[in-house]
Amino acid sequence: MAARIDEFLIDVRPQREWGWLVISYLFLGGAGAGLFLVSLYLEHLWAGVLGLLVLLVGTVLLLLDLGRPERFWRAFFRPQTSWISRGCFFITLLFVLGVIELALQWPGLELPAWLSEGTLRTSLRVAAGGAAVLVMIYTGFVLAPSPAIPFWNSAFFPIIFFAYSLLAGIDILILTSPMLPGPSLDLMLLERNQNYLVILCLLLVLSHVSVMSSSAVAARESIRLLTRGRWASLFLGGVIGAGLIVPLLLALPVVWEAQVQTVFALTFILALLRLFGDYLFRFLVMRVGLYDPLL
Amino acid sequence: MARYGMVIDLDICIGCNACTMACKSEHATPGGIYWGKVLEKEVGKFPAARRIFLPVLCNHCKNPICMEVCPTGATYQREDGIVLIDYDLCLGCRSCMEACPYGPRAFYGGDGAYYENGRTPFEEAKQHFPEGIVMKCNFCVDRVDQGLNPACVQTCPTECRIFGDLDDPQSEVSRMAAEKKARPLLPEKGLEPSVFYIGG
Repeated sequence: MAARIDEFLIDVRPQREWGWLVISYLFLGGAGAGLFLVSLYLEHLWAGVLGLLVLLVGTVLLLLDLGRPERFWRAFFRPQTSWISRGCFFITLLFVLGVIELALQWPGLELPAWLSEGTLRTSLRVAAGGAAVLVMIYTGFVLAPSPAIPFWNSAFFPIIFFAYSLLAGIDILILTSPMLPGPSLDLMLLERNQNYLVILCLLLVLSHVSVMSSSAVAARESIRLLTRGRWASLFLGGVIGAGLIVPLLLALPVVWEAQVQTVFALTFILALLRLFGDYLFRFLVMRVGLYDPLL
Repeated sequence: MARYGMVIDLDICIGCNACTMACKSEHATPGGIYWGKVLEKEVGKFPAARRIFLPVLCNHCKNPICMEVCPTGATYQREDGIVLIDYDLCLGCRSCMEACPYGPRAFYGGDGAYYENGRTPFEEAKQHFPEGIVMKCNFCVDRVDQGLNPACVQTCPTECRIFGDLDDPQSEVSRMAAEKKARPLLPEKGLEPSVFYIGG
């Protein structure tokens, strides 16, 4: 008897092409750009330097993931259609503008007034900040257009990656603040802002899960894996629990009580928890990327 | 200009995998990498249990998403619709593999030997692809340019594959597609594949 074409409901296949190197890039690239963006707001030279260094480490890991890393320069050739190609321009732009901006902030450097505070300087800062935002979100656009993997095929990812990148950037700043030269940071203020970002991340992630729950077969299977299947403990316990809800609850004393020693110890722990949740989220996004059944 | 495509009749495919082996022989693809293969599935229960077969290969889509996401232009489409990869441009970023819903592409990490003791003289003569790139079915473009059918079509003992110009309404492939209501895989993805299935 002949085959019926609809009998080939072959099981969903997980993507395995992008592994820990890409996951680490998503995390470090976003966090580095987020940290740089925050450094512009805080006018903190060394936070900016650290941001670019984190981004650099992430970019090196991404290059190592290529089958032919020595050909990386060819990735600049198709910005008209490819988000990876556009991302290469965004990263380069951020490095170039970032280094110029940081060089102009360098202590002891005497600059003419038009360069230190004029329109040109403001434009440079805005452009560098814009490049940082683009680096934070473009990875979401790399995933979102994929017709093959419905869980990624969502407009939420650029926004989620932006929120998570900013969250991670500020967390790295909190963790490194005792060692960073330059002006001291108001941890209390940073922690208060983190709570808003945590709530935003929580809403975005839950919205994405909700939308995908009624989407294509493979997307529903991705959600099942995250909420009831193999990755449920890591997603519910790690990303949602340890990474978002626990920091939110523990942060209440920090927000409402201004005891300096408590603030310092607690923010350190909270930052670690949130960074753990961020990395885990990006890991799970890759791990539950499933192709639709072939037929 | 022609738009090359293929119609596969599932009513007469017997799952012999002659096409799979013809493809491997034609292109000397590395061990574990198949540019074309036959998916098998057992359906039904005894005494009505049976095996069904689905030959799959690159669909050479009219709107190839693999070409759209490729950051280097390594994946390109000829005027006759055949989608190819320029190995000299490929980075091995695998974005094309992530974007394609059909899964016909493979990453070649190196060591093309099929057997344990290194490459055979046949492999050394035929394998011209570098390490660290993505590869896939090319519709046997060298044969097509000589006016021949792809190796899988030429080899199929049941003649379940028909290859030709989809834009020519008089071609056998077009007539079969029209008469037997051929349908592609995953049409809802909007990629307009050039490989169609009839029967089943």
